[in-house]
Amino acid sequence: MALSEIPSDAELVERFPYANIDHDSKALYTGWLEKRLRMNRCDDCQRFHHPPKPVCPSCWCSSLVPSEVSGRGTIHLAMFLHQGPPAPGVDYEKAPHPVVTVELEEQEGLRFTSTVVGCAPEEIRIGALVELDWVDRFGAPFPVFRLVGSR
Amino acid sequence: MARNPIADEVAIVGVGSTGFSRDSGGRSAKALACEASIRAIRDAGLGPGDIDGLVGAAEPGGPQPQEMSAALGLPQVSHFSSPTPVAVFALVDAMNAIYAGSCDTVLLYFAYTRLPWNSRSAAQDPFRRRHTLGVMPAPESVNAAAAYAAWASRYIHEYDVPREAFGRVALNARAGAKHNPLAAMKAPLNMEGYLGARMIREPLCLLDMDVPVDGADAFVLTRTERARAITKSPIVIHAATVGLVGTNDEDQLPSLARHGQHVVVESLRSKSDLWLEDVDIFFPYDGFSIITLGWFENFGWCGPGGAGRFLEEHWDEASGRVMIDGRIPVNPHGGSLSEGATRGSGHIREAVMQLRGDADARQVPGARNALVGCGGFFFNSQGAILRRL
Repeated sequence: MALSEIPSDAELVERFPYANIDHDSKALYTGWLEKRLRMNRCDDCQRFHHPPKPVCPSCWCSSLVPSEVSGRGTIHLAMFLHQGPPAPGVDYEKAPHPVVTVELEEQEGLRFTSTVVGCAPEEIRIGALVELDWVDRFGAPFPVFRLVGSR
Repeated sequence: MARNPIADEVAIVGVGSTGFSRDSGGRSAKALACEASIRAIRDAGLGPGDIDGLVGAAEPGGPQPQEMSAALGLPQVSHFSSPTPVAVFALVDAMNAIYAGSCDTVLLYFAYTRLPWNSRSAAQDPFRRRHTLGVMPAPESVNAAAAYAAWASRYIHEYDVPREAFGRVALNARAGAKHNPLAAMKAPLNMEGYLGARMIREPLCLLDMDVPVDGADAFVLTRTERARAITKSPIVIHAATVGLVGTNDEDQLPSLARHGQHVVVESLRSKSDLWLEDVDIFFPYDGFSIITLGWFENFGWCGPGGAGRFLEEHWDEASGRVMIDGRIPVNPHGGSLSEGATRGSGHIREAVMQLRGDADARQVPGARNALVGCGGFFFNSQGAILRRL
């Protein structure tokens, strides 16, 4: 995406109606439109943090660079929603909806939460290796995980 | 010892409650708060002119302090605030305001009302359904309530804990509620019933979650010195604290071995002359069963991952509940799981009633000291030790 195509704040809010977007998190969602998962990284101490904050919690530097992460990691938390907020493609009656928090390979304790697609529920286990993929939600890209090797 | 100049200097001299139900029958949260408040002020033998501080937990749908002042006709208030839930935030604010001299006597109130997102019947109520959560979140979140199911999965993974460990928390609560006239959920519950309950956020089921209710609790607090003139049995706050770690975003929490509960326990222990060996009743919060297991482990009743086994070892078959060392009951009022989702005010109320000797069928003979672990892991961990002077 060229610089001229950077979406307006109004467009971001429209594309991601389910997200609480603010000035600190807009770079994260702008990245999603390009199918890139970018997390705030401190330009000084080089530590990532998430969710996006206005300063680096490790060194208080305010020079933060939204930096692409691989999206590869290990399932750290895993639950299955038998009911929950409505979303396109989520049918709680059909099957419990998996929600996982993945510890990313870039940094210990750096985690991202989404769902896992393309596998049986019993394969979604803490410790399983996953990688990033993208699905469509309300016409915009939405980051999800797949088990490594399940593509 | 940490500095704790406020130890035993502030007392709870009045208690009032509406009791809790799945439906208050068309009464507003403000009406419930007023009823509990009037009961608490009368229980203390005081009147509206004696109240110069007003602290009300900022529960969704609940009344603001200025609305309560107007409704109750309090002539003059020199401190008021509405701390975020859960209950000990408000207790600490009231205590500090009195000790610092901002005011002398506080009415502390907590009003709960079922809301459209946690009650189907509330979603049908034309008044209540106008409350919204704002942006409808995506399901792929472990924020707020969902965090406890997510971290329960980690707890089960790390310690190989069976569902019965969680079930015993629910069974203990229900056994207590049976003897509590204020409680919402009194139908008998056994382990088979727990294991058969429907999953909500697996691994947690319906009975691992507190029960949304309508109702209110209120308390009157004043200086201990003044309390002695008001009542022969002032219940004092020996120590109270809240606790927070830096990385407290739910999915970024460092681990189950380091969160708000650990800070609370360290802080409380360093402020208190009393500890586990002195405790007569234990009140671990149970907004979710996993929180209760956490409090058992983090207070040091047992080691990490050992709470389920501890509950089994200290289970009293005759009464179907936990009795630590055969002596110390746990949430004898039924907790949030069975009395109703009081976000901790029920635990504090029961502690006061027990320490006063007014707990009727639930009374622990000679109870002098109560330990309260309130709130969860992320941004509402808190604790208090109450004692009878």
